[in-house]
Amino acid sequence: MVGHFMLKIFWSMPNKNYMPCFDQTTIKSSIAPTWCPGCGDFMIFSSLQKALVELQTPKEEVVLVYGIGCSGNMADFNATYGLHALHGRAIANAIGIKLANHKLKVIVIAGDGDLYGEGLNHLVAGMRGNHDLTVLVHDNARYSLTTGQTAPTTQAGTKTKSTPTGAIEQTFNPIMTALTFGASFVARGYTAQPVELTQLIKAGITHHGFALLDIFQLCPTFNKEQTHPWFAERVYNLQTEKHDASNKAEAWTLAMTETKLPLGIIYQDKTSVAYHEKVFKQLDLSLIDRQTNTVELSSALEELS
Amino acid sequence: METKNPNTSFNWKIAGKAGDGVMVTAKLVAKIAKRQGLSAFNYLEYPSLIKGGHQTGQVLAKSVGEATCQKRVLDLLVLFNLKGFQEHALEISDHTLVVHNSDAGKLSVEAAKKCTGRVLELPFLQLLRENQLNFLAANMLALGVSVYLLGLEHKLSLKTIESEFSDKSKSLVNDNIKAFNLGFEYFSTRFKPMFSLPIGKDEKLLLTGNEAVGLGALAAGVQFYSAYPMTPTSGLLHYMAGKQKQYPLVVKHAEDEIGAINHVLGASYAGARAMTGTSGGGFALMVESVSFSSVAEIPLVILMGQRTGPATGLPTWTAQGDLSFVLSAGHGDTQRVILTPGTAEEHFELTKLAFDLAEEFQLPVFILSDKLALESYHTMIKPEGAQVLSEKKSVFKSDSTKNYLRYLVTESGVSPRSVPGQLGGMSLTNSYEHDQHGFATEDAQEVKDQVEKRARKLKALASLLPKPYLIGPARADITFISWGSTGLVMREVIDQLSGSNNYPTINAIQLPFVWPFPTQEFLSLVKNAKKLVIIEANQTAQLSKLIAQETGLLIKDKLLRYDGRPFYVEDILEYAK
Repeated sequence: MVGHFMLKIFWSMPNKNYMPCFDQTTIKSSIAPTWCPGCGDFMIFSSLQKALVELQTPKEEVVLVYGIGCSGNMADFNATYGLHALHGRAIANAIGIKLANHKLKVIVIAGDGDLYGEGLNHLVAGMRGNHDLTVLVHDNARYSLTTGQTAPTTQAGTKTKSTPTGAIEQTFNPIMTALTFGASFVARGYTAQPVELTQLIKAGITHHGFALLDIFQLCPTFNKEQTHPWFAERVYNLQTEKHDASNKAEAWTLAMTETKLPLGIIYQDKTSVAYHEKVFKQLDLSLIDRQTNTVELSSALEELS
Repeated sequence: METKNPNTSFNWKIAGKAGDGVMVTAKLVAKIAKRQGLSAFNYLEYPSLIKGGHQTGQVLAKSVGEATCQKRVLDLLVLFNLKGFQEHALEISDHTLVVHNSDAGKLSVEAAKKCTGRVLELPFLQLLRENQLNFLAANMLALGVSVYLLGLEHKLSLKTIESEFSDKSKSLVNDNIKAFNLGFEYFSTRFKPMFSLPIGKDEKLLLTGNEAVGLGALAAGVQFYSAYPMTPTSGLLHYMAGKQKQYPLVVKHAEDEIGAINHVLGASYAGARAMTGTSGGGFALMVESVSFSSVAEIPLVILMGQRTGPATGLPTWTAQGDLSFVLSAGHGDTQRVILTPGTAEEHFELTKLAFDLAEEFQLPVFILSDKLALESYHTMIKPEGAQVLSEKKSVFKSDSTKNYLRYLVTESGVSPRSVPGQLGGMSLTNSYEHDQHGFATEDAQEVKDQVEKRARKLKALASLLPKPYLIGPARADITFISWGSTGLVMREVIDQLSGSNNYPTINAIQLPFVWPFPTQEFLSLVKNAKKLVIIEANQTAQLSKLIAQETGLLIKDKLLRYDGRPFYVEDILEYAK
């Protein structure tokens, strides 16, 4: 250490004892949601709010970072600290937020086009670094805010406005991708199962490290193929199957099965150490707590003398 | 200028292949000169590869006045191979001494005739072999020859070698010193040193522009730096990465430039003083996020180090070709500040200012520099060891208001900013156009209010910017207009011309920032000019376009260079004559 840092809290942070937690009313902003009737976003919205209330998180300690898309429009409907980012870049912002103040719970809310298309490089980087983020992917297999073009998770062959003769690309497999790049928590939810979804969001938030939660949702306006009956034929719950989520090989097998789609925690490394926990030896002080009002340059000057 | 004063300055150069170690030798010559109390400027040229190619380092050192740039005509040239005779033919005059590694080949009679300078042969490898030294020590042999012929201090040189290699093994340091001494003694019985420079107080730093920016960032309390490597700003990434142990700083090598700038925006949003650095191509990827910083009002500091474009261009060569790009980067009415430091001191001071401006006014602030200024070594007066951070301004105080508005419309355009974790500061920071709360809006009046509020910030900060200034005499036959690193060569030209009657008198108006453009100050400086000449390292005279746009003044005379090379003192003198 150089010199003596005079510790001074520049940003007046409240004493934890006085911080009120979320409740079902105060977590909502004054703006009513604008999604289409039947949109899966409603269920993710309410499940997230429920999860935050149930976790008794102090209001000021949560930051929601939103992507661009129908899901990102949730930014206006939550009364929390929020950053409505650029398309594809929410994870990169979230990484910066978490490193600046790791005492915050940082949750990313974005769609499959945003995270698996435009922002894939940041998703991969987030997983490789095991940054302590909870990433909720609103997976409706369409670019819906731009009126229904093909998305990475669109079933190959599907005809959309941008692929009138059918999508040529293979369907993106987010679970395999997450396992490949080392996400330490990989789960899948479904908006038709809101109780389980809330539990999964809570598990993702409490996990130490990168939590990817791919959430099946309907887009009743632009995705006429993947309806509730379509999902009903394919999904099953891992909880009833007694799946061992710590077994990565088993997780791989589940991820590769395309005819049956498992719901629940597919993989979790409970011993995971998050990126910030490797950066900061002392976790009681976040980076912004370390701000000083004087800086001693002497040794840096000596090196250049 | 052929005036050669043996007691005030020398101009030295070394050339070889990448891998020969010429950059190390050049830095050491500059450092020894600096420790001897001289001012020095060390300019480096290297190709975009690791081994081979042609690489040079040159040092202009002065005991009177400041050495601020590279001069073409050399006093001493040390060559690792024959290629240097062709490459540097124009830099050799009749007073130049050329020391040449004769183990790399014999100079043909024809080539020897062509060379106007005096050539001395030195068998680098043979000499090392005879003394059981590794061929890799050849650059230390070259250093020894150079130190002797330049008349630099022997003892000081040994100390400097020791300190420079303090992280290396003792046997390597000993071998380096042995090789240095071999070189130092080789000509000592036959020739006298060319110079006899005074020994003064060692009061300065020797550092690159990148290091000056890094030091400025540390002095400003930087807490977070994220970047993707790219010449010529990788030096800042390395410098910052090396400082994480000593300072409360986190450095992230990002997955790409888009990731880097968005890490910075995230960290800054959360309350950290944060910065990124890149060059033209990487900056092109960052542009959408510059727009984000502006609309969401998230403080952002960017070091934009120009190199020769377009596209991959000349990765390791200098240019000022990105001014127009940086001025207009960002869709919509993106607001920004663009600082254009020239000297090392300006790189240090303006980086500190960049952090203060970004934080108080919550917008992107650029430090626009280039390969010449960022990778060259400069001598700089030591700043204060104890740096006091300026008080945080425009910060939301938890108990100051009940109904917090993140984007409160104010007269100055600045709204108090909360960071996550603050009680009562809950709000949405938004890339969408938004109302005062931060919620997205498409209401015409609200949109207009926010656009105008952001524009007002530029007026509010104008008084905090440095002033354009004059280098040289108040009145002159020719007034050059320079920005950034071209100011370095103008200083040297004007310093050399003082007292000379062979040339027209010259001064220069230097712009330490270009946006918001200082119209009034600029016009009052221009008022006295007899003849105006714009000097820029680009083909389209980008500053002159900006001046025309902001003042209506059309500058006809232009001295432009766009071949990757910096202006040399001689280029300006030739133009002026």
